[in-house]
Amino acid sequence: METKPRILIIDDEEVVLDSCSQILKGSGYQLEIADNGVRGVELVQEFQPDLVFVDLKMPGISGFEVLEKVREIDATIVTVVITGFATVSSAVDAMKKGAYDFLPKPFTPDEFRMIARRGIERRRLMLETIALRREKELLREQFASIVSHELKAPLGAVQQNLFALDLELEQTLTSSQKIKMERIMVRIAELLKLINSWLRVISVDINKLKDGFTQLSITKPVSNALESVAALAERKNIEIVSSINAELPPILGDAISLAEVFVNILSNSIKYSPDGTRVVLNAGVQGQNLVTSIQDAGIGISPEDLPHIFEGFFRGKSGQAMAGHGIGLAVARQIVDAHHGSISATSELGKGTTFLVTLPIFVKD
Amino acid sequence: MTKRLLMIDDDPDFVSGIKAILDTGGFEVDVAYNPKDGLAALQTKQYDLLLLDIMMGRGAEGIMIARKLRKDARLRELPVLILTGMREQIAFLFPGEPIHPRFVEIDELVEKPVEPKLLLEKVNSLIAAAETKKAGRK
Repeated sequence: METKPRILIIDDEEVVLDSCSQILKGSGYQLEIADNGVRGVELVQEFQPDLVFVDLKMPGISGFEVLEKVREIDATIVTVVITGFATVSSAVDAMKKGAYDFLPKPFTPDEFRMIARRGIERRRLMLETIALRREKELLREQFASIVSHELKAPLGAVQQNLFALDLELEQTLTSSQKIKMERIMVRIAELLKLINSWLRVISVDINKLKDGFTQLSITKPVSNALESVAALAERKNIEIVSSINAELPPILGDAISLAEVFVNILSNSIKYSPDGTRVVLNAGVQGQNLVTSIQDAGIGISPEDLPHIFEGFFRGKSGQAMAGHGIGLAVARQIVDAHHGSISATSELGKGTTFLVTLPIFVKD
Repeated sequence: MTKRLLMIDDDPDFVSGIKAILDTGGFEVDVAYNPKDGLAALQTKQYDLLLLDIMMGRGAEGIMIARKLRKDARLRELPVLILTGMREQIAFLFPGEPIHPRFVEIDELVEKPVEPKLLLEKVNSLIAAAETKKAGRK
């Protein structure tokens, strides 16, 4: 059975307390009253109300002080101030300090009931939001740990044994057997990479990156990324041509996550490019920004899919966004967003895609 | 002289995969499947290198071992190659580049799984670094 919502009314006028008690009688609330602020605050502790009505003008400690104390005790308790029409401005002040609503005196029973109902609803939603947030956090942690331990560790052990087997059989396997072996290892490596990007999305708060921003040249993350994708490009016989030089102005950012941006875009480009084609990197200044372009001659992305490729877990119907796990580009966008930059793509089916990463140039204060 | 290695890792299948590669490299490898046995082996035998997992048992128990190594005057000089499955952005983005956790004087970190070439390379270079250091002190 659900517990009855609890309401506390703090007011020095007996007539207000009486009429409020009368109005709420039989409406399914538990009610407590206090005729001064000190007693009111005590009751907030003992009674643990969902909703507190506070008269702003009371002898002894004022309504404002009571509001402050209630907040200290439990910030999720909803407060409503009772005030005369003449002092609406103080009600506004109270709301600025965290009161949820105000009840102008004199009020009709219906007005009071309505405000009470709204206040109780507000409290219910607040508690629900907190519970959901906690649950989400817990799920996220659990999911991250399940993914890393239950999926990644066994796959890592499989791959490690394949590496050993491959080494031991080096002289024994025929070339066609070696190709099969290679295929198995490549696919497992891809799976491991996918798991890593999931883990990245689940467990890392990208906005926290900002704490570690330093002044850097775009060449650093770009060259790290090029090194990371070199093996993949070689396997597909794709030439990556970079004309990015060290003359460019610096940006403010995190080198590791920016490298991740370029790894993710380059991996996408390589993955969807036919054998023997080129991927071309370029960078230049445009106004206050440094724009890096990654152009491929891949299968392209259809116009209806193009607006969605950075949304995450998106799999288009056709073209370059199709078979991908779709998460890499979403992560790239999040990282670029955290750098106050933007990421975009233009594409033509059958011709290729150009990704643009725009980052603000670092300016000294 | 044959180099003796100790591997501490709680996943026997993973250990076999690593051990097979080290065998082909001519190393003698002892294995401990939990931190307790690992520490006992370190106390009783002389090793040229330790291969250490981080996430074992109830958490990062490998870190606990690394801390104990650092406090021990003899074991402090043992080179350590950390093999970890923990999400290591850095290990993924900088393939081949060394990452030094600095748990002990000579150490490096690589992410699981490890390609044979990289594994043998790291093991050999860490042992060589430790020997150079030792020779320099004499």
